[in-house]
Amino acid sequence: MTEASPNIHLEALRKGDSSVLESIYRSNRASFLSFALGFGINQDDALDIYQDTIIAFRENVTSGKLTELKCAPSTYLCAIGKYKIFQLLRRQKPNALNGRVIVEETNEVLDVNLFEEEYTNRMKLIGDQLKKLGNRCREILILFYYEGYTLDEIAIKLDYSNKLVLKSQKSRCLKQLKDSILS
Amino acid sequence: MMNKEDLIEKYFTDTLSNEERILFDKLLQNDQEFKEEFIFQKELKQSIVHQQRETIKKTLQGFEDNLNRKKVIPLKYWLAAASVVLVLSLGYFTFSKYSASQPEKLFASNFTPYENVVHPTVRNSKDESIESKAFSAYDNGSYYKAINLFNSVENKEDDYIRFYKAMSFLALSKNQEAIDLLLPLATNPEASSAKYKWHAKANWYLGLAYLNNNETDRAKSQFNVVINHPDCDYKKEEAKEIMSQIKSD
Repeated sequence: MTEASPNIHLEALRKGDSSVLESIYRSNRASFLSFALGFGINQDDALDIYQDTIIAFRENVTSGKLTELKCAPSTYLCAIGKYKIFQLLRRQKPNALNGRVIVEETNEVLDVNLFEEEYTNRMKLIGDQLKKLGNRCREILILFYYEGYTLDEIAIKLDYSNKLVLKSQKSRCLKQLKDSILS
Repeated sequence: MMNKEDLIEKYFTDTLSNEERILFDKLLQNDQEFKEEFIFQKELKQSIVHQQRETIKKTLQGFEDNLNRKKVIPLKYWLAAASVVLVLSLGYFTFSKYSASQPEKLFASNFTPYENVVHPTVRNSKDESIESKAFSAYDNGSYYKAINLFNSVENKEDDYIRFYKAMSFLALSKNQEAIDLLLPLATNPEASSAKYKWHAKANWYLGLAYLNNNETDRAKSQFNVVINHPDCDYKKEEAKEIMSQIKSD
């Protein structure tokens, strides 16, 4: 290891290492909370936003958008968190932000990830049926659609002899899920 | 030609080539079955995202509970601690001229060794390298042992080894050793250089080391660097707080 870095730790986070997640959570908590409280929100909201920010940060890593940290993790967390705080403030007090500049410097690596995607009844239905699928199917689908694994990586992680076997397993899972929704 | 299933798979792994992207868009417009399959997978992805966020949030709340639980200390420890405080405060009245100075107190209330983000200690890990042993000693608070091991690694001049060795010295209040190690990391590196990522942290800890050495003026100038650091929010609030306390002295 010649390049010292928190980036090694990003790779572990991408692979789903929960001890790394906990260490990031603990080491940035105090500075984030003091940053968030500075916007005049209460402790519970600040904690809630901190947790969502950690999730967004993790998603940036698993999706491959963030592969290298150029500064302390706390800087990224504050940058993401700031938008989430503004989002909350806009909801709580629509007039509070008048005159405040919201869009700041552009940062190419930063995906602010405000969790504003819609969640329809149909998605809820799919989600309910997903919970009834077998563990193996759920695991494959989560790794593929959420954790940013390629089929090759999933095949290795779950001990499939090759990608094709996994691929047909995944197709069966999708079909099973679709059938359960139609029935 | 690539089959439809592969195209959709590539869409989700974000690996469509330009040509494939054109084909993909065309199918989406003209092929009803393709469109339905794609929309289904997109909705599925969204449901999974929703569920996973909830699951991870629970995990994070678990970390939060762990933090709070550690604060609850059984009564017998309270009693033991109380008797120590009693003895110490008797001692304080007797030997008050030897008590810690204000900068040292500020050091004590602000110093925690920087989290090991290089080699997270993994249980049952088979990594037996000196470096990994050094970091595991560091995590356990065995700082003398950590320093010895950091001195034995091959790349002991690397920035991160210097940094964590400095942390270990500082944890033992061996301020001068920590200062010597931190100085090169804290002085104006190029923003693009590898040293830069240690810049804000090194200044913060250098400030603390000077505080603990009762060199208040030097400490102040390090904290100013932290407060005005161009791209890190690292420890800015804490540094401001210390500055205000030094001034009010």
